[in-house]
Amino acid sequence: MGSSVSHAGAPPPSPAAAPTPPIPVGLAAALPPNPEVQGDAKGVSEKVDWLNLPCPVAFEEIQREALMSLKPELFEGLRFDFTKGINQTFALSHSVFMGSMEVPSQSSDIIKVPTAHYEFGANFLDPKMMLIGRILTDGRLNARVKCDLTDNLTLKINAQLTNEPHFSQGMFNFDYKGQDFRSQFQIGNNAFYGANYIQSVSPRLSLGSEVFWLGHQRKSGIGFAARYNTDKMVTTGQVASTGIVALSYVQKVSEKVSLASEFMYNHMTRDVTSSFGYDYILRQCRLRGKLDSNGVVAAFLEERLNMGVNLLLSAEVRRIDHSKKDYKFGFGMTVGE
Amino acid sequence: MSSSQGRRGSLPGAGRSGDGVLARVSSSISNSPVVYRGRRAASDAATVAKKLLWSTGRAAWIAGTTFLVLVVPLIIEMDREQQMNELEMQQASLLGAPPPSSVVGAVPSKRSICPLSAAVSR
Repeated sequence: MGSSVSHAGAPPPSPAAAPTPPIPVGLAAALPPNPEVQGDAKGVSEKVDWLNLPCPVAFEEIQREALMSLKPELFEGLRFDFTKGINQTFALSHSVFMGSMEVPSQSSDIIKVPTAHYEFGANFLDPKMMLIGRILTDGRLNARVKCDLTDNLTLKINAQLTNEPHFSQGMFNFDYKGQDFRSQFQIGNNAFYGANYIQSVSPRLSLGSEVFWLGHQRKSGIGFAARYNTDKMVTTGQVASTGIVALSYVQKVSEKVSLASEFMYNHMTRDVTSSFGYDYILRQCRLRGKLDSNGVVAAFLEERLNMGVNLLLSAEVRRIDHSKKDYKFGFGMTVGE
Repeated sequence: MSSSQGRRGSLPGAGRSGDGVLARVSSSISNSPVVYRGRRAASDAATVAKKLLWSTGRAAWIAGTTFLVLVVPLIIEMDREQQMNELEMQQASLLGAPPPSSVVGAVPSKRSICPLSAAVSR
């Protein structure tokens, strides 16, 4: 499930990339996409207008509510982000990170290497066009482009360039948004081709599928997904030919609180994980907590100290008997917009 | 002493004549199956108790750290939120802004209607 997992793993609208503050972003994204439309549809009449179904959520964002609660950007060490808007559409960002990074290793114990980097970024945000660039002191460059070619067709470009060979990545996405469906075509380097399509079949249920082909590794796959959402809950299910089953359920308890749970089964590695999380959005802070069947306990707090000044506290405690044991604590600040 | 010896003497396997009285008593006690079983039971109980204590301690540690990470921030933040709400309510009442959906809001409107209706009736 190369493509699906990578989609599921990466939160689609990266909060670090967007210059808006994290709390409003979370608030806007945590709410179901268009509850008032569904409310109207239900309130006006019980009869469903089958020719006028709402537009579904994009296929790669199908689990976004669950990801919002269960996958906060946990970090270890110190983080400082500063964003300065030059004018309405243009902003510069500076970010410093000092902490330890995990190095992937063959043995079961975790090797951590202290790292520090500075990141310089520029954002250009316009209703029709979005350009985001990030450059790190260790030579990595990240560029994202989102451009509305017509009202319905959107082009997205994502590029990651490194100075190590064979690690650079590039990806072109063409998104077409119809009245009650969305489709996407992807072209990436290493001869990656993917396509997905999602269709609303009732005002609340949407079904989608995807195919992808990895030319260099001669692999292909197909996946199916379903999403059912009301204004109080969201349920999604995803199956792929690579042997991954992912189910998620998010319940919005009140205006401030939502609870999320997720179940993941990997047939190849016989790996089963389930996790449960809460997401509290209060006036001065946003707090997310997670408990995992692997014994991972994590919490992420974004506290608004002042207008435009946010304090971040991140904690992750991983305790499994006789294998990986890890404690990660981090604190940080975001200043500006 | 003699009485105890007499009691011990009645036990089987304790009637060797060559040893001293004390040695005979102590060996008979240490060799007796009851003492052996008792000692084993005690050591087993000690191991179990140690394991139990250790595992309870571990469970308490896990529960405590989980609580510290997941619940303590939540409690603090909810408390802060409540304090802020109270502060806002106090400020609102001090400033004299009419709280929504209360009798105070309804009374002036009634008064304003009353003279009008009185004028109409006249």
